[in-house]
Amino acid sequence: MKKADPRVKLLWVLLCTTGALVFFRPLWMAGLALFSFLGTFYFGAHLQLLMGRLRRFLPLLVVILLIHVLFVQTGTPLLVIRDYPIVTSHGLRRGAITLMRFFVILCSAAVMAAENSRRVLAALNKLKIPYLFSFMLMIALRFIPSFSASFSDSIIALQLRGVELRKIPWRKRLRMYGHLLLPVVADAVVKSRVLAMVMEARGFGAFSKRTSFLDVSMTPCDWVLIGALFGLGIAAFGAYYLFG
Amino acid sequence: MTAAIALSDLVFRYGRGNFILSCPHLPFAQGELSLITGPNGSGKTTLSKLMCGILRPAQGEVRLFGRSAATLSLGEIGGQIGYLFQDPSRQLFAGTVWKEMTFASDLLGEEQTSSAEKALELLERFGLAALKERSVYYLSGGEKQRLAICTILMGGAKFLILDEPTVGLDRKNREILYGILDDLLAEGRGLAVITHENELIERFSRARRIKLENGQVTP
Repeated sequence: MKKADPRVKLLWVLLCTTGALVFFRPLWMAGLALFSFLGTFYFGAHLQLLMGRLRRFLPLLVVILLIHVLFVQTGTPLLVIRDYPIVTSHGLRRGAITLMRFFVILCSAAVMAAENSRRVLAALNKLKIPYLFSFMLMIALRFIPSFSASFSDSIIALQLRGVELRKIPWRKRLRMYGHLLLPVVADAVVKSRVLAMVMEARGFGAFSKRTSFLDVSMTPCDWVLIGALFGLGIAAFGAYYLFG
Repeated sequence: MTAAIALSDLVFRYGRGNFILSCPHLPFAQGELSLITGPNGSGKTTLSKLMCGILRPAQGEVRLFGRSAATLSLGEIGGQIGYLFQDPSRQLFAGTVWKEMTFASDLLGEEQTSSAEKALELLERFGLAALKERSVYYLSGGEKQRLAICTILMGGAKFLILDEPTVGLDRKNREILYGILDDLLAEGRGLAVITHENELIERFSRARRIKLENGQVTP
């Protein structure tokens, strides 16, 4: 179902991410996580890529889970050492909700990553969003892999100076990451300046009205999906506030 | 004598692409200059990254000074093998030239006097002593490259891999670089230089040539 109109996917992403921010009850969040997971199948996202990303984020997710589990002291104590509650029911619940929130965001990202950026631009244009803004958004998203590659090169370069990262105390390591970000940000600024010059040299923004060869149009199925997603969204958020 | 780097029956493939690099037994010795040449996309950078453990092969083995690279962390490898990126800006992190030189030793908590002496000696040797307090962002391409080589030598690398070091350098800076390569060889360090610059190939005509074509290494 890769051919669904990007506007349908955008609405789905909007619902999922809003739900991820709004829902604070584990069952609701679990339902949203399932809904997001099914959406990745339906919209033909790269599931392999999603799993790869999940693997990369795993240590971070574990740390977040641990922080929630260990630092939330309210609720029924589940593990107590010397009268000090280590794990509580609220801590576990918060940890689980945060993990599911990350999962929903990753699913949304996987669906949008699988969509052709030109089609997304055309769809945003149809939503009357100025081309300049949507183009900037797409470029910013394309910079993420470049950021990641630069940062990874910096870490490799530092290690190849004979620095064993695991031997560095965590305070120094935090300061080090700050330093490593410096060339990455500088690189991004230089790239964005070059890109702006290149775009202007190609006549970007020379005319007030922009035409596009690529056109996206909604099929009856897309309209049904839009209606269903709207209905589901209103019902879900309404029910959450009324009964959740 | 143990080779500085020894590749044996390597096979490497990128996850999503069809590119496969294969390499028979290929040793690199200390005190020797090897020029790795080949057209764009032939796998030169991939080979160099395999040589210093940045990439791990699907098959075969990389041995660094007699030890399998698979058993070494990048930090351990960095103590013996240095890697100069095509864009040296990617390996400079600190505010000034001096801070850049002492960045790794500060992190590792090494004795400051000895690392400062070593840093000063290297900066003087590479003609950067006068720029000690200058921001790395205001250095020219050639100066950044020399500083990157200095930082690699600060880490104690005995074998250096340089990825297209002449790219973007003017004649004067190229000549300085050739002088540095001569000096490093004279010190007994091993060098592997990726290039398709005819001038460099002619200048080091006695160097060993390793050719790459479509991911196939011809020693």
